[in-house]
Amino acid sequence: RRSPGRRRRCGPAAEGSSPRDGGSMRCQVSVLYFARSAELAGLRCETLSVPREITSLQLWEEIVKAHPRLAVIRDQVVFAVRQEYVLLGDQLLVLQPGDEVAIIPPISGG
Amino acid sequence: MEESEDVPKDFIKLRSEKLSVDEVSELVVSPYCGAVSLFIGTTRNNFEGKKVIHLEYEAYTSMAETEIKKICRDVRQKWPSVKHIAVHHRLGVVPITEASVIIAVSSPHRAESLEAVTYCINTLKASVPIWKKEIYEDEYSWKENKECFWANSEK
Repeated sequence: RRSPGRRRRCGPAAEGSSPRDGGSMRCQVSVLYFARSAELAGLRCETLSVPREITSLQLWEEIVKAHPRLAVIRDQVVFAVRQEYVLLGDQLLVLQPGDEVAIIPPISGG
Repeated sequence: MEESEDVPKDFIKLRSEKLSVDEVSELVVSPYCGAVSLFIGTTRNNFEGKKVIHLEYEAYTSMAETEIKKICRDVRQKWPSVKHIAVHHRLGVVPITEASVIIAVSSPHRAESLEAVTYCINTLKASVPIWKKEIYEDEYSWKENKECFWANSEK
């Protein structure tokens, strides 16, 4: 059983993600899954190719394409992009290669 | 170990080993401070009639440390006389009655450290990416802090 807090290295891009498109319009980001989202996706991290400019909702939809079981938690999650919280919605993200995007279910620290 | 007593320090640790109240208190003690205030979060053995066997915590560790640092920064803005702040949070399995989190704050007089500790735990529950799973006899449940603004949100 994996120890929490110890991450695996991100694996190869998930099935269903598009191949790199010349590099100028898309980039590879590290997607991190936690708590319930890790259980639903079946993994803790992976590399995904996504458009460099994308709304947070569109980014969610790309991730759900790769992991349809995540759809059930759509109304309860936010993202953390480069460790800043981002709601799922119209906010335009400008992603850089290697950026960390984390799926953040409702937190329960303390 | 540094001996510069004047410099306020933040001590932030996420770890799987058992937490120590003595250790955390000693981190913030200062000859310039007449008060050390402490919060200890422990694990209850029941939830809604179900017996809790133990808790399990996981964290987005790098971001959790960053968010806790932000909390410390906020504390120092709101209560400038606060000297040292220590936040230790346990990860992994936490047996019943053991501590999940210990927060200690020192200040010259007690009002500031008491208020700062309250602020720290309340803000930690609202903003730090740590998750708790309650393990019952036959099932488990991912908990959601009521302070978390994206839990049960209506869109």
